[in-house]
Order: sequence, then C-alpha cells, then structure tokens
Amino acid sequence: MANLSVSLAGISLQNPTILASGIMGVSASSLKFVEEHGAGAVTMKSIGPTDRTGHKNPTVYSWGEGITNAVGLSNPGAEEGAAHLEEMKKILHIPVIASCFADTVDNIAKVAEKLLEKEPLALELNLSCPNTEDDFGCMFAMDPRVTERAVTLVKKTSGKTKIFVKLSPDASNIVTVAKAAEAAGADGITAINTLSGLIIDIHTKRPILKNTFGGLSGPAIRPVGVRAVYNLYEAVKIPIIGTGGINTGEDAIEYIMAGATAVGIGSGVYYRGIDVFGKVTEEMENFMDQNGYKSLEEMRGIAHKC
Amino acid sequence: MDKPLALPIQKIITESERVKTYVFDYDFPGEPGQFVMCWIPGFDEKPFGIIKKEGKGFRISVAAVGDSTKAMHMMEEGDLLGFRGPYGSVFVLPEKGKQIAMVAGGYGMVPLSYLAQEARKKEYKVHLFIGARNKQELLFKEWMEEIGVLVHASTDDGSEGYKGFNTDLFKSNAEKESYDKVYTVGPEIMELKIAQICWEKNIPFEVSLERYMKCGFGICGQCSVDPTGWRMCVEGPVIDGEKLKKIEEFGKYHRTASGKVEKYPWVK
Repeated sequence: MANLSVSLAGISLQNPTILASGIMGVSASSLKFVEEHGAGAVTMKSIGPTDRTGHKNPTVYSWGEGITNAVGLSNPGAEEGAAHLEEMKKILHIPVIASCFADTVDNIAKVAEKLLEKEPLALELNLSCPNTEDDFGCMFAMDPRVTERAVTLVKKTSGKTKIFVKLSPDASNIVTVAKAAEAAGADGITAINTLSGLIIDIHTKRPILKNTFGGLSGPAIRPVGVRAVYNLYEAVKIPIIGTGGINTGEDAIEYIMAGATAVGIGSGVYYRGIDVFGKVTEEMENFMDQNGYKSLEEMRGIAHKC
Repeated sequence: MDKPLALPIQKIITESERVKTYVFDYDFPGEPGQFVMCWIPGFDEKPFGIIKKEGKGFRISVAAVGDSTKAMHMMEEGDLLGFRGPYGSVFVLPEKGKQIAMVAGGYGMVPLSYLAQEARKKEYKVHLFIGARNKQELLFKEWMEEIGVLVHASTDDGSEGYKGFNTDLFKSNAEKESYDKVYTVGPEIMELKIAQICWEKNIPFEVSLERYMKCGFGICGQCSVDPTGWRMCVEGPVIDGEKLKKIEEFGKYHRTASGKVEKYPWVK
C-alpha cells in the first residue's frame, strides 16, 4: 500500500488533501464534518479585522465548467474568529490552518497577531482574494514589495506557527511574488487563489453575481494552477500547496508531479460531495499502487525531470 | 441546474395583502420540502420553497418583507426571475399508517401545502394546524379544504378559528388523535414547541430548519449547524425528529451572514 502521509513545512498530515479556505469553514462543527469525510487538514474561512456580512446574493453558483463566487470575505471579525479557531483546535484531530486578510499591511499583521495567540500550527495569509476591489483596492499579492512587507510584519509575532502565503494567478508574475514571500520568511506558498472573471446572463442582460465580478474555481482553472505550481517549484525552496480544480486523485497527482507538497480542495466538495477527500485519497493510493510509487516523495516534481 | 435559469413570470396571483404567488410555465424538478434559489436581478438571491399544482409548471409564494421581496412584488407578468436548484432534502411520508398532521406557521404553509397535496393524492388523512396573525393571512386555507385536508385554523386576533397559538391547538388535538407522523414548518420557536410535544409523545416528525444560505449546494458552509456540521442546504432543510436531537443549536441560536452566532430572543 502506498504511503500518503506528508510533512508540510514540518506539519504531519496523514494524507495530502487540505480543505481550501472559504469552503465550509464558517464554524468548528462544519470543519469537523469535513474531517469526518477524510481531509488531511482543513483551512478556516479567512478572518478580517471586523465583522463583515460580505456581498449580497447571488454570491456563488456553478457555470458548468467551474464555479464563480463573490462571497466578499464575510467573517465575524478577529475577536470572534480567534474564538472560533480555539474551538476548532479543540474539537478537530487533524491540523487546522488559520487564515486571515485585511485592507492594509498593518491591519493584516494585527489580525494575524490575534489568531496567533491561539497558536495554530499554520496561518495562511490570504493576500489574493479577487472579490473586494471596491473596498480594498488592489490585492496585496499583485505586488512583491507589499507581499514581502506583510510577511515580514507577520513573521515578527508568528513564533512556532508556520506562515503560508496564498497567491493569485492574476499577478503579472506569480514567481516574483512567491520569491518575495520566501525572502521575507514565509514557510510555504498556497497556489492558486481563484481567477477574476465575469459572467453575464444574456436574458436579463446583467452580470449574475451581485458583485458583478467573481473568482473562478473548479476544473476549468486546473491547468492554470498546475502551471503556477510547476513554475514556483523551480523558483522557491519552500513547500507549495497546489490548489485549483482538484476533483480526483489523478488531478491531485498532476499537482504533485508539478511539485506540490500537498493539495487544496475547494470546489471539489461541490463536484463530488463532502466525501471528496476520502475519494481523492483512495484514488491516489490506487494510482500509486498500480504504478509502483510507494510515497508522494517519489512523484513530487517528477514532471520536471523529463 | 446550478446557474440561474431566467424564466418569465407567467401569472401573478395576489393571495393576501402581503403574499403573492408567481406561476412559471416550466417543468422545474423538485419535491415537497426542497427549495430553489431565486435570483431577483439587481437585488438579491433567496431560497424559496416550491409548489407544483395541476400539471406542468411550478410556483413560489412570496411575502413582501424585505427590499428584495418588495421588489418582487413590483414585478409584472412577463418579467424575468432566475432559478437554480432544486436543493435540499425532502419530506418523507410514513410507509405505514394513514393519518398525518402538519403544523404551519406563517409562510411555512408554502412547502407544507405541496406536501399536503401529495399526501392527499395518496389518500392520507391530513390534519393541518395553520396559524397566522389574522384571517387574511391564513395562506391556502381554501385550497387545502378543497383537496380534503382537515384545517384547524388559529389566528392571533381571533378573526378566524382558535384565538391563540396553533401549537396549543395541536397539543390539545394530539391528546385525542393519533398521528403516524407530524410535519412542521414555521418560526423556530413554533417548531421547537412542536418538536418538544412530539418527542414527549413519541410521535415521528420532520421539521424544515431555516438557516442563512449563500451557495445553496453545500460548499460555503454558511448554513452548517452545531455540533454536527450538517448543511441545511444538503443534509437539510428537512430533518427527521430523531436526527434533530443532535442539532444542539435548534431553538437556541443561528448564524448571521457574517458567521456570527446570534442567540434567539427567547433564550436567556
């Protein structure tokens, strides 16, 4: 039997599937439900400085080849978010990755500090949500200097907690941004966040999402994610969580072969149900057994050697 | 179908001062208990229980309570609304036994009217305990009587039927009648009272539990309940009475659009 356990920046995972941020992560109970369905780790929904209701509906729908969302970073604020994180740590047996965002570099450091008080194993800095341009200006992950500043500030108080940086495929050069994050001390990269997109209903002659624009996810974006991971693997030494359009074990292996250490699953919950984590893990095992791979290590980045 | 399908309103029926029914000439799938996400272009998207009546097509009934539903009330026949779904779990009629009860508060009558219709087609004896503020707001009372449902009405102001709560009316009735199953949809305080009566008397029941929804198809986690994590858009909204015992937040609190926990006013 192939061994699917993995060490992600020193954090042990029984399998490489990680629930991506923004999916099912509103409460500890919701994440526990994901754990029961086989995830190797979970990421909480991103927490910001204050209580936000996000955008009005429609906020999420499937357009066939993928999902479009503009939830708008709804969250209960840093204070209650930290309390949720504490509860998550208490009731879950698998690693919980905290997640945060903010409007300014100083504010993200403040939110991070609040969450870091609960000593999560890892904290993901969401520097790349594409759905809040109106009130947040340009996303941090567009600019390597801003990314570097954010990571540097957060690292000052991060202690033992590993800092992952979630990057955008909309950045003009994702590799430069990742290198800046690494230089500032990031322990890992999550690639990719959703791509900004727009879908118009031709009958009502309107964009469907209330926010007009939304983040694209799902199978349609997988080649974009795999390309990003492939490029990043050659440019940085820190581990990469490959995310974007993973529905099957084969999809996950594609990311591992591009160089990912672990894989994020979000829209896959929609396409294959809540037990997508168990299904992906089993399919990875089958592929590895059939092809003589004993560990993920043997496959990691293998596509670069050809 | 998970992308909104724009459909023209075929017919608008005024049910009361606050409620209008919108009829669509489209054979949208869906069973009693399930809901659709209805996109009100330019305003919002909200879950509504569906009704199917007489042949093809489907309908939703909407009370003008907020900005988006008030906007819906301004719409005219031929205007477009977007629908995706159907979503969620369904009501299950008992296999054995032939007498069921339904307890509807306010707009809980919408999903229950569809269930009552299906139950009558299968010749179940149906007792309906419908509660509203006044006589005018007793939704679908005539329709239910026409299809042979035994209607026990109650109103806050006593303008029709029993003056007081339908939960009290149900409780006293349940002393003399024996029900194979009870179905309840309405304000959570009402559902809680019915659940307590049914648990105490050991009557099987189902409740439709409303929680704030964004995606409707199980990924946003907004409608997950404590401590099971069940999503009310996938594992719910219809929950069996035995399973309901595991949902500890039932009758106590819910989550707002931001994910904050908000206690119900009746909880001390």
